[in-house]
Amino acid sequence: MYNVWENVLAEIEQKISSSNFSTWFHDTSLISTDDGHIIIGVKNSFFIKQLRSKFLDIIKEALINNDIKVKDIDFKIENKSKSKVHPREITSFVSVKQKLPSLNSLKATKNQKTGLNPKYTLDNFVIGSNNDLAVAAAKSIINNPGTSYNPFFLYGGSGLGKTHLIQAIGNEILKNHPDFKVLYTPISDFYADFVDSVLKGKGKEFSTKFRSLDVLIIDDFQLIVNKEKSQEEFFNIFNNLHQSNKQIIVTSDRLPSEIKTVDERMANRLTWAGAFDLQLPKFEDKCAILRSKANLTGAEIEDEAIEYIAENVNTNIRDLESELSTILLMSDVRGLTPLELINNGSVNVSHEPKLHTATPKRIIEKVAKYYSLTPTELKSKSRVANIKNARQIAMYLLSEDLSLSTNKIAAEVGVSDHTTVLHGVKKIKNDLKLNFNLREQINEIKGKIYD
Amino acid sequence: MEIEASAEKLSKALNNVSRIATSKVTLPVLNNVLIKVKNKQVSLITTNLDMAIIDFLPVSNSKDGVVTVPAKLLAEFVSTLPKEEKVKIISKDDKITITADKYSSTINGSPADDFPELPEIDEKKAVVFKIGAEEFKTGINQVLVASSNDYNRPALTGVHFYTSDKALYAVATDGYRLAKKKFIKNVQSEIKVTIPSNSLQEVVRSLNDEVEEIEMSFNDDLVRFRLGELEIISKIIDAEYPNPDNLIPKKPEISVEVDREELIRVTKLAGLFARHATNDIIACEVKAPDIFSVYSIANEYGENSSSLITETKKEGKIFLTSRYLLDALNVFTNPKILINFNNGSENLNIIERILVLKEPGSDDYIHTIIPIPTDDIQ
Repeated sequence: MYNVWENVLAEIEQKISSSNFSTWFHDTSLISTDDGHIIIGVKNSFFIKQLRSKFLDIIKEALINNDIKVKDIDFKIENKSKSKVHPREITSFVSVKQKLPSLNSLKATKNQKTGLNPKYTLDNFVIGSNNDLAVAAAKSIINNPGTSYNPFFLYGGSGLGKTHLIQAIGNEILKNHPDFKVLYTPISDFYADFVDSVLKGKGKEFSTKFRSLDVLIIDDFQLIVNKEKSQEEFFNIFNNLHQSNKQIIVTSDRLPSEIKTVDERMANRLTWAGAFDLQLPKFEDKCAILRSKANLTGAEIEDEAIEYIAENVNTNIRDLESELSTILLMSDVRGLTPLELINNGSVNVSHEPKLHTATPKRIIEKVAKYYSLTPTELKSKSRVANIKNARQIAMYLLSEDLSLSTNKIAAEVGVSDHTTVLHGVKKIKNDLKLNFNLREQINEIKGKIYD
Repeated sequence: MEIEASAEKLSKALNNVSRIATSKVTLPVLNNVLIKVKNKQVSLITTNLDMAIIDFLPVSNSKDGVVTVPAKLLAEFVSTLPKEEKVKIISKDDKITITADKYSSTINGSPADDFPELPEIDEKKAVVFKIGAEEFKTGINQVLVASSNDYNRPALTGVHFYTSDKALYAVATDGYRLAKKKFIKNVQSEIKVTIPSNSLQEVVRSLNDEVEEIEMSFNDDLVRFRLGELEIISKIIDAEYPNPDNLIPKKPEISVEVDREELIRVTKLAGLFARHATNDIIACEVKAPDIFSVYSIANEYGENSSSLITETKKEGKIFLTSRYLLDALNVFTNPKILINFNNGSENLNIIERILVLKEPGSDDYIHTIIPIPTDDIQ
């Protein structure tokens, strides 16, 4: 029934204004079509009246066009639970996605042999003051692989374009040297392959495959695992390639010296030729990125709208892109331009970096400070109500925000066993249900933890 | 369309209707007021698709027609004119020209056909009640305070009207407290409907001194309130309402009478201390032979305890949220208040004593507050 109604709605949508459509048809459903007695579910009696007096002919026509027999049409008030995903949302989403393919097409198929996605090129990488050094190095590598910046170590937060840049290097090298053996692999895949090859007794083939490469590109190096054997294998391959002047490219979200599982020797070698970082783009750079992505899709967007997004997204490029595509989708669905959507308050963009990550120590400090206690007092065995309350809030936050085990929490807050923790967390959870002040307090504390 | 009316009357009517003309909606015409003149009767109409307000405006002169223009703009313009001024509104195409002595302006509107058709009460099927305006206002405010704003439980965001034993009741609950008001004692018809709190608030807000009686007409899916020249129609919440009679504990175990103003004062005092640390919890305790005390649970800010004189043979204690008690006390009107500790029951899912507030000698208004379980309080 849903599918038919989706089609009917799609047809109605073509015939009436988008504001009329989204107002009157948004929450409708087809309840029954038995024997041509159509029953349509609506929100309330205001909708029944309007649909009956203004849109009955259009509904009837659309039903008939979808091969539904229509004798009479009736309306029924139907209370929809919120969790239910309305079929309407799905259809509008699908149809718009089909119209705007290019934003998502960057995720297109990768080359099986090289692991590279051909869509990542230097041409569609937006260069700005945040990344110009890294790009200059990249260009030099493309012209003379294996000589100047080897290994090329690139680091920066997620969503800043590391993967794009290194894959672009791989693609450009292949363009200049079609005979080169280039391989792009996330470190996690490297391990999976290694373990797999050992299990199958093909360890030697694995090693030969990597040692014959001209360009090795390793992504997400921070996920390196602390397994001696695998690290050793990677180290050997690294040394081997490096000695034969083959280009090695590595990315990570931080410097190798800050990755706990990497030993010093490895860390030193990775940054031999320097480490390049990608930073959060400045305002002008963000505008340029958004403009370039928007042009890719062919969608229209005002400069003011672009500036609004750029101003309000301060985390990374991935968030910039996702906000852009959301606004373009909405603009298409609602028939308003992006700027109109922003001005009428339909979109609310805000991505601020979490300045601090929560650690057990930080949570306890901030909770204690909020209740005018010292961390030592909070961790004491005191059963004074306010201290106990603060301790329970700390337990609650450790459990909710860090998902620590009850035993770990017990150790952090200085209680003897995990049942006390269970009780404390449960108590705060229960209190939150009926206590408004507590809810505000916890939000304030959270603000202090992450700010 | 053409009307001529005094600035004062027109301004009042526009203020009545323009409140629900909202700007943040997908359908821009909902910002507008529809001005309709038919057979010399002038009506001003706004709607937010959950409810509609219709004001019938007395005019000295009119010509039939219909037009729709932004409600707030027109309301503000007219309210700035001198009260005694005669205002003339003439529509042409989708615009109106307003003239008043030396003032004149034109407001652009939308095609009147864009304005939604409003549902109408089926007079034949309607169940009609009439309630004195003052009684309605007090009573509705007394129940509205307990209604919920959790839209995941739509039924509780409204006030439930139902008939039982030939009386009309209104009841509201958010799950932690419940307020029930008896309105009319001798009704013939039966109803069971839930009206959105927002709509009722709008009805109460629209009441003025000139209105003496409110007429309520119920259909299955629509309700209409008539207050003098004003009509408010509202949707009905289509969700099962819990049977309120099951929610009120029957027998009072302890019952004391105290002065309401004094109790408000001591509850505020205890609340000051409670608010800061112990989850806003205060205790009400009855001690034989004559003490009713309200106190906060001790915390780092200190503690507070106050006593009122009363008469009692039994003793008992209830912990509850101070804000709930204050909310309740503030909507009572009688200077004396009867405080009952009723036994909970399996039925209610609460075994502790429940606080039940009433006016002495009357069961017309009952306000119950569910206690905080004692094992949660150290």
